[in-house]
Amino acid sequence: MEYLKIENLRKTFGGVVAVDNISFEVEQGALLGIIGPNGSGKTTTVNLITGFLTPDSGKVMFKGRDIAGLRASKITNLGIGRTFQMVKPFYRLPAFKNLVVPLFSPRVKRMGGHYGEKDTLALDILEDIGFERDSAVPYKPASILPHGYLKRLEMARVIALQSELIVFDELYSGLTLAEVASISPMIEKLIEAGKTIIMVEHRLKELFKIAHRVMVLDQGKKIAEGSPREIMKQPSVKKAYLGVEL
Amino acid sequence: MLLSVLVYGFINSVILAMVALGFSITFGISRVANFSHGGFYILGGIFTWYGLIKLGMPYFLSAGLSIIIIGALGALMYKVILIRLRGLELSEVIATLSLGIVILELLRGLGVFGYEFRNPVFMDGSVDILGVGVGIQRIIIVCAGALLLILLHFFVHHTKMGLAFRGVAQQEHTALSVGINPDLVSMLSLAMGSVMCALSAVLILPLGVISVDEGYDILIKALAVCIIGGLESTLGVLVAAFIIGYIEVLTSMYISSALTSVVPLACMLGILLVRPSGIFGKSKEIEERV
Repeated sequence: MEYLKIENLRKTFGGVVAVDNISFEVEQGALLGIIGPNGSGKTTTVNLITGFLTPDSGKVMFKGRDIAGLRASKITNLGIGRTFQMVKPFYRLPAFKNLVVPLFSPRVKRMGGHYGEKDTLALDILEDIGFERDSAVPYKPASILPHGYLKRLEMARVIALQSELIVFDELYSGLTLAEVASISPMIEKLIEAGKTIIMVEHRLKELFKIAHRVMVLDQGKKIAEGSPREIMKQPSVKKAYLGVEL
Repeated sequence: MLLSVLVYGFINSVILAMVALGFSITFGISRVANFSHGGFYILGGIFTWYGLIKLGMPYFLSAGLSIIIIGALGALMYKVILIRLRGLELSEVIATLSLGIVILELLRGLGVFGYEFRNPVFMDGSVDILGVGVGIQRIIIVCAGALLLILLHFFVHHTKMGLAFRGVAQQEHTALSVGINPDLVSMLSLAMGSVMCALSAVLILPLGVISVDEGYDILIKALAVCIIGGLESTLGVLVAAFIIGYIEVLTSMYISSALTSVVPLACMLGILLVRPSGIFGKSKEIEERV
């Protein structure tokens, strides 16, 4: 049984075909990168898998069960977590309280929970992800945190959720090279811990260092899939990305 | 005279706050403006009256059951009607307003009119406050109002469900992504607002007769308080209730009691001119709104 198997996924908005019969698989414990130019259907694909959109047709088989069209909160509780490209914290809650919300979720409860008091647990997770423990940062409302912290908070949320399949939607966008360099090892650590990861990413160089496989989308269609090394050589990829035949 | 303005203004303000709180709570969590608030209010009063007078139930039982029924009605309204209209704000308003009018006019058609429709006060008698005689029922209302506010604050800030409610209110997508079902939360927010609406009816209606027109009046008052205070702000509800509450009492004492019912609307219009998002509402720049 495949871990995650997407079959002929299709989604249209009015007359625009955003995702056009895409099929792919992700093995348990693998890191799949999804790349492609703007408007190629990457985020739509993410939304279809995580339940934020309902596909027109096609299947999303997760551990043998078709989850296409289920409510997003239900899919979360089945073990699929996601982050948002545009950060979406609970703005008026302090950073650590942003993690207390997922710590209370049915998913965490079913997984046997984390031990200890929720506030402390939230602070522990934040510390692991680079929030200075003894500073005021974890206690500040999310609305006044800098972008780099908010991206980490997005990541911290799926860690708190104990999701087994994590979908990062452009986690690296808007981050400095130094910030990416500090986050990449955390993603590798998640893989070592047995998580399966899908990364939608524009920062190809950083992605190719950690991805096991890469899938390329263009205008809603899958145009290539392979190891990062293979993908880099593909002429069709260069064309889709740069608009020229090299 | 001044002292009685002070005392009765305070009581009147608490009454306004209680009436508006249910409307504000529902809107603050789920963005549903429940315009059937006035209908639910009178229905809560009538159910209590029916249980108490017609069926001979004990007061607290009849009142308790009414509150539960109205809460369930709020949840049902979300589950059956509003869930299909989510995001269509105008349709939500039309739907809830229609339901409210149907309830009120149905009651009118069934003959709810006159002195006979009256819930007794919980306890007879009056006490002297600052030299002003105040009925015990009014004292009970003020105490209950204070207790309700404390409970509400505790619920929102110190319980798991309160946190989920705040999550949905602040960022619905993220709430979904951490496993919270916003439809369930919205339904509960409707139930909660309706329970508070019925509770205020049970407490406040014994001060007068239960009349259909009172239902419309209550809706306008709740709306005025919420708009002046800022729609989702509990602090705003309190402040606005005290502003309108005192202006109402001053108007009826020094100008004319016939003008009292104009006060909330006049204040609301005034605030909409000066500060459209209300005193504590998040003000939006014009550019943001267009």
